[in-house]
Amino acid sequence: MIEILSNAALATVQDLGRLGSLRFGVGTAGAMDDLALAAGNLLLGNEPGAAGIEIPVFPFKVRFGGDCVFALTGADCGAKLDMAPLLPWWSHRARAGQVLTLGLPQGAQRASRAVLCLPGGVDVPQVLGSRSTQMRGAFGGHEGRALRKGDVLRAADPGRACRTGFGLVPPAIAMPLEIDGLVALRVLPGAEYLGFEAASRAAFWAGEWRITAQSDRYGYRLSGAALRPVAPMELRSHGIVPGVIQVPHSGQPIIQMRDAQPSGGYPKFGTVIEADLWRLGQAPIGSRIRFVEVNWDEAVAALEQKQAWLAKVARMVALQHSAPMGVTA
Amino acid sequence: MKKAPHELREIAGWMAATDIGFLELRMPGATVRLGRRGGEVVALDDGQRNDEAPVAHPPGATKRSGPPIDTVSSASVGVFLHAHPCATAPFVRPGARVQGGQTLGLLRIGVLLLPVTASRGGTVAEVRVEDGATVGYGAALVDLHPL
Repeated sequence: MIEILSNAALATVQDLGRLGSLRFGVGTAGAMDDLALAAGNLLLGNEPGAAGIEIPVFPFKVRFGGDCVFALTGADCGAKLDMAPLLPWWSHRARAGQVLTLGLPQGAQRASRAVLCLPGGVDVPQVLGSRSTQMRGAFGGHEGRALRKGDVLRAADPGRACRTGFGLVPPAIAMPLEIDGLVALRVLPGAEYLGFEAASRAAFWAGEWRITAQSDRYGYRLSGAALRPVAPMELRSHGIVPGVIQVPHSGQPIIQMRDAQPSGGYPKFGTVIEADLWRLGQAPIGSRIRFVEVNWDEAVAALEQKQAWLAKVARMVALQHSAPMGVTA
Repeated sequence: MKKAPHELREIAGWMAATDIGFLELRMPGATVRLGRRGGEVVALDDGQRNDEAPVAHPPGATKRSGPPIDTVSSASVGVFLHAHPCATAPFVRPGARVQGGQTLGLLRIGVLLLPVTASRGGTVAEVRVEDGATVGYGAALVDLHPL
């Protein structure tokens, strides 16, 4: 069991998302960095889709009520267990009473969300097949809301004894995607792409886009050269998914994120491919990003590359967990 | 100290999951060689590889004059890293005081990072391998002056 000691503004319980409920008007929710959640789970021998805690605001502090293994992935937050520094993207072991503190994200690869995984996953009830917090509907996760100071969460398998003290090469380093030093995201042109002026389309791919302060789990509002339609477009509301890039009348795009509502009526310029949503989920407010045009086959190949990385992690971690003591330190 | 067949199968299983092409286990009274045939890891018969063939693992400790030295050696084949990939500062520099169990560097094996730790407290005398160098099993990585 862990107790939240900080004012954990906006920290939420998330799994890989509530898939299959869009037809009921229920958005997917789920971890903004699904790769960090899956990898953290694998480090503990969990199913990749077990629920973890996504932490976007720091400092974040929890106390372990009992001896417990845990994994930290996502943003490198200079974590400490009591006074001892902890490595990022690593499995650790806490003793009863120890306090885990996450500070501000640091390092050259500054990311924005840390993920804390527990053995067996965070033990909250499944709602519509998922443990993710659905903020808009106030269900799922821990009491359908963000965590607060004093909340107590349980691991599903708190007594698990697995080998800890090793880690992973972070995927932002193992699978970097940058243009001119900026995080790049691959985009499939959307249904209304050709409804925008050619100069705007060219500028979208060539320019830098800043992630504004009006960005959160619901969506990222970008700022850059305005995207102009050839003629005004008025659409009826239609289904949208995380990754969809909408362009409202201002011409400043909005990228739908995990807590996006499942419908919208703005023209769709494109869609950030599923395989790159984790990169966007980790891009901090104020940072600049670039877009790269891809086609369907390239988007599928990117997804396969991501799945291959996770499969390699699962295999290598399983070997590490099964290796006889003494083979490694 | 012969390996039981199930132990060999387990080792072959570990090997199958890596890109290692040949593995030789030397034990008192027996030497076992595992290699790849097609996609499978199989035990190779004696004579398929000359017993005298040089095996590339540098000695774990070298004899030197002067104060006693503890040499921390590599527990696996991998890439030795002085710093975590997210950090720029190395874990230790020569002259640093370290405690037993403290991380001195990392060994990168594919996607995995394993810690290289001090066997006991001491002072770092020398980091013997360049950052990012590929090292073999048993390679000498860090010299410590024990306390």
